[in-house]
Amino acid sequence: MKQKAINVLTIISLASVTLVLLPLFLENSPWPLSARNYLELHGVGDSGAINLVSAIYLGFRVFDTLGETIVLLTAVSGTIGVLTRAGAVLAEGYDTSGTPALTEQEKKVIMDDHTFTLAGEKRRSHALRTHLLEVVTGVLGPVVLLFGFYLMLYGHLSPGGGFQGGVVTASGIIFLALGNRIGAKNPLIRASVLDRIEAAAFLLLILASLSGILMGRGFFGNPLQDVTAIPAGYIILLNGIIGLKVGAGIGFLCIAMVGREIS
Amino acid sequence: MTIMLLVLMLGLSIFMLVSRDLLFGIIALSAVSLLSALLFYLQQAPDVAITEAAVGAGVSTVVFIGIIRYTERKDRDP
Repeated sequence: MKQKAINVLTIISLASVTLVLLPLFLENSPWPLSARNYLELHGVGDSGAINLVSAIYLGFRVFDTLGETIVLLTAVSGTIGVLTRAGAVLAEGYDTSGTPALTEQEKKVIMDDHTFTLAGEKRRSHALRTHLLEVVTGVLGPVVLLFGFYLMLYGHLSPGGGFQGGVVTASGIIFLALGNRIGAKNPLIRASVLDRIEAAAFLLLILASLSGILMGRGFFGNPLQDVTAIPAGYIILLNGIIGLKVGAGIGFLCIAMVGREIS
Repeated sequence: MTIMLLVLMLGLSIFMLVSRDLLFGIIALSAVSLLSALLFYLQQAPDVAITEAAVGAGVSTVVFIGIIRYTERKDRDP
């Protein structure tokens, strides 16, 4: 009965959203063209980036990017704050009688590491996981990481950029964590290391944003504007820093949420 | 092509909302993300397509599947 009411509510809300959005799709007024025309004429010359998307979010609209990185930093801080408390709450009231009791050795291992980073035999919660997954993700992980760095560093030339490269890097970190071999201690999949990388990248971003002031250009001013050899140098730098920050931040979120053991 | 993708996404979204198993819902959500990444690519927005594929189909699916480990089944199959 309750399910039926939810279904009816779903259909009603979908219908109302359609009713509101349909006039927007059907209207025929022309798009404003002035910003587009300016970017088409001056975008590449002003910023040096062939990919105009990265020229916009790291040159013309860089304050939006700063806001987004602050949002991510807040999300990571909130996750740390909530999860350190929630671990105890989740453990209570959860039926663990079906699982075998842990030996002292296993308890020590679980206390030391997140379960996500353990070798397959030691994970209690992943009893159905086969070696197939571990082998495939372990091999694919470094390749995905490399692709993420490629997206970051070539974001000014081809589709990609800091955020895109960062999330692909985070996927690579998850792959590495899933495919962790027995006894391997990869520092890249430890939550504490990722947390520090993220904080350091944010500090670097602030320093890079202030560096233009020394050249008399103002906050987020391009200090390399007069260096004609690498016109997009500042965009490459910002892309790299943002990619590191997003990759470490989202990787941290996933490992902190998924790799937690109920014990 | 666009219409076909949109209809598929709509169907998958409705299935995601009404499915009784959380895991099926998450897989449907991931498929919606993948299809929308394809749609973005066809609309000549490859930057957005990369983000959507990595975040929507990759990272958020991992987080959701990790989270439903904490849930229990309240009702048996009808």
